[in-house]
Amino acid sequence: MELFEYTASQLSGMLREKKVSAAEVTQSVLDRIEAVDEKVKAYLTVTGEEAKQQAAEVDELLAKGEPLSPLAGIPLAVKDNICTKNVRTSCASKMLGNFVPPYHATVMKKLEGCRPVMVGKVNMDEFAMGSSCETSYFQKTANPRNLDYVPGGSSGGSGAAVAAGEAVLSLGSDTGGSIRLPSAYCGVVGLKPTYSSVSRFGLVAFASSLDQIGPLGRSVEDVAMLYSAICGYDPMDATSAKREYPDFYANLKADVAGKTIGIPEEYFAQGVSEEVQQKVMAAAKVLEGLGATLKTVSLPSTSYALNAYYIISSAEASSNLARFDGVKYGYRTPEYHGLDEMYEKTRSEGFGDEVKRRILLGTFVLSSGFYDAYYKKAKLLQNRIGEEFDQQFESCDLLLTPTAPDTAFKLGENMGDPLKMYAADVCTTTVNIAGLPALSIPCGTAANGLPIGMQLIGPKFSEQTLLNAALAYQQETGCCAVAKL
Amino acid sequence: MTIDIQHVAKLAKLRLEEDQAQRFAKDMENIVSMVQQLPDLPDTGALIDPDHPMIFRGDVVEHHYDRKELLANAPQVKAGCVVVPKVVE
Repeated sequence: MELFEYTASQLSGMLREKKVSAAEVTQSVLDRIEAVDEKVKAYLTVTGEEAKQQAAEVDELLAKGEPLSPLAGIPLAVKDNICTKNVRTSCASKMLGNFVPPYHATVMKKLEGCRPVMVGKVNMDEFAMGSSCETSYFQKTANPRNLDYVPGGSSGGSGAAVAAGEAVLSLGSDTGGSIRLPSAYCGVVGLKPTYSSVSRFGLVAFASSLDQIGPLGRSVEDVAMLYSAICGYDPMDATSAKREYPDFYANLKADVAGKTIGIPEEYFAQGVSEEVQQKVMAAAKVLEGLGATLKTVSLPSTSYALNAYYIISSAEASSNLARFDGVKYGYRTPEYHGLDEMYEKTRSEGFGDEVKRRILLGTFVLSSGFYDAYYKKAKLLQNRIGEEFDQQFESCDLLLTPTAPDTAFKLGENMGDPLKMYAADVCTTTVNIAGLPALSIPCGTAANGLPIGMQLIGPKFSEQTLLNAALAYQQETGCCAVAKL
Repeated sequence: MTIDIQHVAKLAKLRLEEDQAQRFAKDMENIVSMVQQLPDLPDTGALIDPDHPMIFRGDVVEHHYDRKELLANAPQVKAGCVVVPKVVE
């Protein structure tokens, strides 16, 4: 077994027992990137030299016997919408193609103390708008499980890098499913944390009331390890929750016995493939075998959630992306007469089609005469969806659904049809709308050889219960392996 | 529903070429007909989560960034200021 194939929790133990050095682990991952990224195209920037330097520092501290975080020396890929000081953060857009942040996002600042080794910045849909990673201005990432297929989006580079062994862990962001969908499509584990538990400061804003940074990895332990390091109150994010968080990694134990798991019938309905339904139900039976009780429940507003999501997220995006005007940073059109023309040409040349589509939709639903019919209705529905979840959590500890209605689709297959593309998010957007935590974990392979993911959803701040239940399932069914490439 | 795409584009400070405008208008009409299917719910007035009030920082001057570092990303800088086209005659 090569070093890049190990999980973070395994490597963490090996580093402490001096069986390997951080330099060797980092080199193994950098070699893997060198060997396979030509095919996978997960990385926009590889920070090899900085990574080797960081690894050397970890080795020095290890030699001195300094107390270190379990993340120390673990190779990490960061989605390119998370600001990294002195390393380009492009959001996979021409608009920010030359943007080098002078500061770290709060998550990166927190990680500095834990010393994971950042090996690079990974591809995504432009400004995190997309479900396939194909709207990136720079390149299309392939699914390492089958290179003809998309890795899912928008954190497609994160999912692909982890599945391909080009990183051990990755940070992604999730606005409507952007961590969970790539996790399901690429066959890895991903956690979308409770809204407000991870600071959004330094995450390039898409839809501020829905965006959340979270971890992707090849095991539940690894995801718990990274989540524990990034969660917490941050005065720089006004929506950040002021509360204490336990050490999710230290407290992790495989445990689902005695838990009631709700199966919402709306997620096992038309539009969700038979094969996906069967695999997720088979996984439910595994959880039942481990001592959980299954219960069929109903979340009646589910079918409207995708609509509400596209209204709310596009409205917020149209407002958030108004800042890209060619004045203070980012792209500016080379030729213009007057301020208005500079704005219009800069934005028209700097944004891709999907971003323009969302800005136009958001501008439309917020415009005079349409606000009440769209935005306000969607916000009222958001409350209703939250209430329906709360009601179910009175009698259920967790809910179990498919992560996506089907396995990954082929590269190019949905690019001409926005509605078909949006439908990939049908099982995930409800969670963002309600601000809940949810975890996607592989639950088998389809006849086409592609992975299927299931989604565990819990009440706000129930990450420990989610992780413990997922670990129980993983111990029964096995960890995710690195894709053969 | 017909959407005046050029008007919306103007509000969003985007320019659409004619063929692009036609394509976007069609996409938008499809998207809007999907998203407009929403139930009528009673207006409870509460659009902000009461469990989750936002906490603002105090209005206190703090030094976070170096001016030179921030300006390093600006497309055009002169004498420590961002250069923009003339806006007043």
